[in-house]
Amino acid sequence: MTSHTDAIDARDIANLHHVRDLFGHADPVPSDLAERIKFAITVHALHAEVAELMDSALLTTRGADAKVEPTPTDSVTFTAASVSLMVSSGPADSDGTDDDDDRVRVDGWVTTPGAQIEAVTTEGSSMVISDANGRFVLDDLPHGPVHFVVTDPGNEDMRPVITPTIQI
Amino acid sequence: MTPTPTAPDGLGTLAGKAFAAYRAGERERLSELVDLVTPVLWNAARSQGGAPATCEDAIQTAFLQLVDRADSINEPAAVLGWLVVVVKREVWRLARGARREFGVEEVPEAPAQQLDPEAQSILSERQRVLWKHVSTLSPRCQELLRVIAFADRPDYAAIAESLGMPVGSIGPTRGRCLQKLRTTLGTDPGWAV
Repeated sequence: MTSHTDAIDARDIANLHHVRDLFGHADPVPSDLAERIKFAITVHALHAEVAELMDSALLTTRGADAKVEPTPTDSVTFTAASVSLMVSSGPADSDGTDDDDDRVRVDGWVTTPGAQIEAVTTEGSSMVISDANGRFVLDDLPHGPVHFVVTDPGNEDMRPVITPTIQI
Repeated sequence: MTPTPTAPDGLGTLAGKAFAAYRAGERERLSELVDLVTPVLWNAARSQGGAPATCEDAIQTAFLQLVDRADSINEPAAVLGWLVVVVKREVWRLARGARREFGVEEVPEAPAQQLDPEAQSILSERQRVLWKHVSTLSPRCQELLRVIAFADRPDYAAIAESLGMPVGSIGPTRGRCLQKLRTTLGTDPGWAV
């Protein structure tokens, strides 16, 4: 006979694993819940303004009778009160190696010249400053989720602007 | 409540280390904490009978409170228990809505666990048998077993305490809930395969 005062043994652990499988299967954690929590924390911590996703179009240059599949380019526009941001993504510049498909190049334009754009990916964050026309390039990003944080080093009054997460 | 520090290598310990590192300035370690504890918190929230949207809001609110109060939390090692307490309270606060019949600190006991018919229809035969037996346990045991099942053995006692269970209800000894589950499964010829 076993008693409730015995130490937990392997059978109890196995039973708990079955309970975990049962609830994990019948009532799974929403797959994007952790990512949404992280986003909420970032917005909260930065006291940031959240930019709205305005436009997301799959741009292709294919004609009706094109024989070759063109490379699709995702072009996305975000708008907040203080700034707008447009980004498009494509394959990273070829440097002669075979692993270029793994990396993504993001071309962007922001309404503030000299703004700092931070791309937060699964690998960490990459930063770039937009040029006098507001253009910037972020090369060598990983595929997957990314969000952008825009700040203006020349204007301390501007709240950081954070975009929703997109897939590149 | 005095949270019990957990033994090494449990989920609670890993969470505590990530949170301590976050407080020490490694801001990116907060992501690790979120990934580690979200499954436990989801089950702690859902076991209160809250709707999915309510549970998501409760978990998010708990993390935002953690960030706001990070420096005033006395025992960073006990962060998992702290989050479980806040999530459970938030689910009840949100579910109660504008009605203020209870004090904010007063958290009712969890109801018996429910699975909607759609969820039940996707269970395997063996999971159906297990669910039948789990359903016969007291609501308190159902809540306890559901939540600790998503943690590690060293965390059981601290999580039980965070859920408002008496000290000694589980870990390092089996406790009555695990014993009941063991007994009821042991008497079912359909389970012992």
